[in-house]
Amino acid sequence: MTLTGGPMATGVPKYPSDLRGRPRRDRLMSSLEAVVSVYQRISAYSGRRRRPVTPVSRDRELVVDRMRTEAEDVVSLRLTAPDGATLPAWRPGAHLDVVLPSGCVRQYSLCGDTADTRAYRIAVRRLPGGTGSGEVHEELRPGSRVTVRGPRNAFPLAPARSYLFVAGGIGITPILPMVRAAAARGADWQLVYTGRTTASMPFIDELTRIDPRRVWIRPDTEYGIPASGAELLERAPEGAAAYCCGPTPMITSLRVDRPASRVRSLHFERFGPPPISDGAPFEIELARSGRVLPVPADHSALDVVREAVPDVAYSCRQGHCGTCAVGLISGTVEHRDRVLPEPERENTMMICVSRATGRVVVDL
Amino acid sequence: MAADNEVEPGEEQLVLHPRAVRFDWSNLPLHWVPGDPQTTHTINVLHLLLPEGERWFVRVFKQALPLIADERLRTDVLGFIGQEALHAEAHSGVADHLAAHGLDASPFTRQVEWMFRRLLGDRDLHGKAAEEWLVERLAIIAAIEHFTAFLGQWILDASGLDAAGADPTMLDLLRWHGAEEVEHRSVAYDLFCHLDGRYTRRTRAMSIVAPVMLWLFVRGTRFLMCNDPQLGGRDKARLRQLRAASARGTLPTLRGMLGEVRPYFTRSFHPSQYGSTERAIAYLASSPAAQAAEAQQ
Repeated sequence: MTLTGGPMATGVPKYPSDLRGRPRRDRLMSSLEAVVSVYQRISAYSGRRRRPVTPVSRDRELVVDRMRTEAEDVVSLRLTAPDGATLPAWRPGAHLDVVLPSGCVRQYSLCGDTADTRAYRIAVRRLPGGTGSGEVHEELRPGSRVTVRGPRNAFPLAPARSYLFVAGGIGITPILPMVRAAAARGADWQLVYTGRTTASMPFIDELTRIDPRRVWIRPDTEYGIPASGAELLERAPEGAAAYCCGPTPMITSLRVDRPASRVRSLHFERFGPPPISDGAPFEIELARSGRVLPVPADHSALDVVREAVPDVAYSCRQGHCGTCAVGLISGTVEHRDRVLPEPERENTMMICVSRATGRVVVDL
Repeated sequence: MAADNEVEPGEEQLVLHPRAVRFDWSNLPLHWVPGDPQTTHTINVLHLLLPEGERWFVRVFKQALPLIADERLRTDVLGFIGQEALHAEAHSGVADHLAAHGLDASPFTRQVEWMFRRLLGDRDLHGKAAEEWLVERLAIIAAIEHFTAFLGQWILDASGLDAAGADPTMLDLLRWHGAEEVEHRSVAYDLFCHLDGRYTRRTRAMSIVAPVMLWLFVRGTRFLMCNDPQLGGRDKARLRQLRAASARGTLPTLRGMLGEVRPYFTRSFHPSQYGSTERAIAYLASSPAAQAAEAQQ
C-alpha cells in the first residue's frame, strides 16, 4: 500500500475510482460528496449566530497560610483559597504552576495530603542563584498572595502490586504523596531517599511514620555518594514499578542498571525537552514578516520562534512527532529529528530540534 | 486513594505527551488473530483509515490554534496533536505490512485519502466561511473522538483478543493507541465547546459521523476479505461472523457501538464521564512499546 508521501504530504489526490474497479463513480464517495457539500453550506449559515470566543483564565489566587522550615534551605508553604473554599482535587505526582510576585513562573510538585481539599502544600529548596526559589524564601510570608495554575499531572502513579520509590533531596516532593497512596492501597513498597545530610532532607519524620521498615533514609554523609543505580535498586520488591525524582545523574544511573534489577518499569517526571547539547548559535528569518531572530546555542529555533509567533504548532519538542515542520526556503539545516524522510529534508525543517549554520529562511 | 478522591469531570489534569513508539511488523502473520480473518480485517480497517484520518485531525487542529483563548486548552491541543501524529505513523506501518503479504489495499486507501484531503479539506474557502468550516470539522472530530475513546476503552479491556491468541505486538499497538485515546478523550470536545459548543452543531456532526463510520467499517472489512490472497475470495465477510466475534469478545458488539451514540445526544454530555484514565495510565505504564519509547528519551 502506498500512502503518497508519508507524514508531511498534503497533496490533493484525484477523484478515486470505484472500490471494485467498476467503470462508474463509487457509491459511497459520490454520496459523501453530496452530503458534505450541503453540510458545508449549513456550516456557513450556522456561523452567523456563533458567539465570539470567550477568553478563559485559569489563574487562581491563593494565600500563603503557613510557612515552615522543613530542612536546611527548605521551606514548605501551605496555600489556601482566600475565602477558605475547597480547591480542585489532585492525584499523586501533580504539580502547580506558581506565578511569583515578580511574574516568574515555577512548577512545584504538590507534597501534601490528597484528602485535604482546602489546602495545597508545596516545598521549595533555596538554590544558590535560583531566582524563583530565592523569591519564595525571601519575599513570601504568611498572608502573601500568589497566583497559581493547575494542578496538572505529568507524573501519574499507575496502579501496581509493588513499588520502588527513589527520591533525591527535594525530589521527595512528588514522591511523598505517592508513598502515602501506595501504603493506603496496601501495595508492597520500598522508599530509598538520598540526600547530602539528614539535616538537608525534608519530611524524614513524616515518611518514617508511614512505615519505618520500608523507608531507607540514605544520606551521603553516612553511606557515601551512591556508587551506582544498582545500589538504589537493591531493595526493590520483585516486579516493582519504580517512580523516581531527583538529579539527572541519579535518573541516568537508574536507567542504566534497571534491566538487571527486579524493577519491571521505570517512571520519572519530564520537565520539558532535554537540554540542547553541542548547539551553535544561528539565525532564523521569518519570510512572511521578514523578521530575523537570533537563536542562541542553548535555545531551540522553536523557543525563539514561539516568542514571535505565539500560534506556531509544536508538540513533542524532541523531534519525533513532526508537528513543528515548517517550509524551508533557504539555508543549510543540520537535521536532528527522527521523522523527516530524506527527500523532504531539502524543503522542510523541524524547528524543535534541528539547527543550522549561518541563516535559514523559513516559511513563517 | 485516587478512587476515593474523584477528580471532577472537565477538570482532568493529566499533561499529555506524545510517546515515540516503534513496532516491528516483519514477523506479523497476515491473520494476526489466528484462524479469524474477519476479526483481523475488521480491525485492519483501522490501519487503513487512521493514518490519513489522524493526519487530517492534525491539520485541522493546527488551523484552530490561533482561535484558542485558553492557555490550558492550548497545551492540551498541542499534546493531542503530537499523539495523533504518532498514531498515524504507527498505523501506516501496519498498512505497509498488508502489502508485503500481497494484499493491495490501495483502492480503499485512495478513497480514504480523497475523503480526508479533498472532501474534508479546506475546500478553497476564505474568511468567515473558512472559519465556520473549520469549526464544523472540529465538531466532526469531536464526534469521531467519542468513538475512538469508546474503542480505546474497549481494547484495553478486550481479554477476548488475548484468549484468541492475537499477536502480542499488534495488541500492544492497539492498546497503546487506545490508552492515549482515553487519555486525551476530552480535548477535541473541549476545543469544540470553547469555539462554539452549540448542541445542534455537535449533534448534527454525530448524525453524519456514526452512519459513515459504520459504512466505512463494513465496506472496509468486505474489501479486505475479498482481496485477501490467503482466502482467495472463498470466505466473505458475514454478519454471522461478526456476531460470533462479538460473543467471543474479539470485536465490540454492534449494539454496544450504536448504543454509544445515545449519550452524545444528552445535553450534559462530557467525555470525561466515560472511560477510565486510571486504566489508560496503568496500561501505558506497562506497555512494551511505550516503555521502550520512554527509556529512549
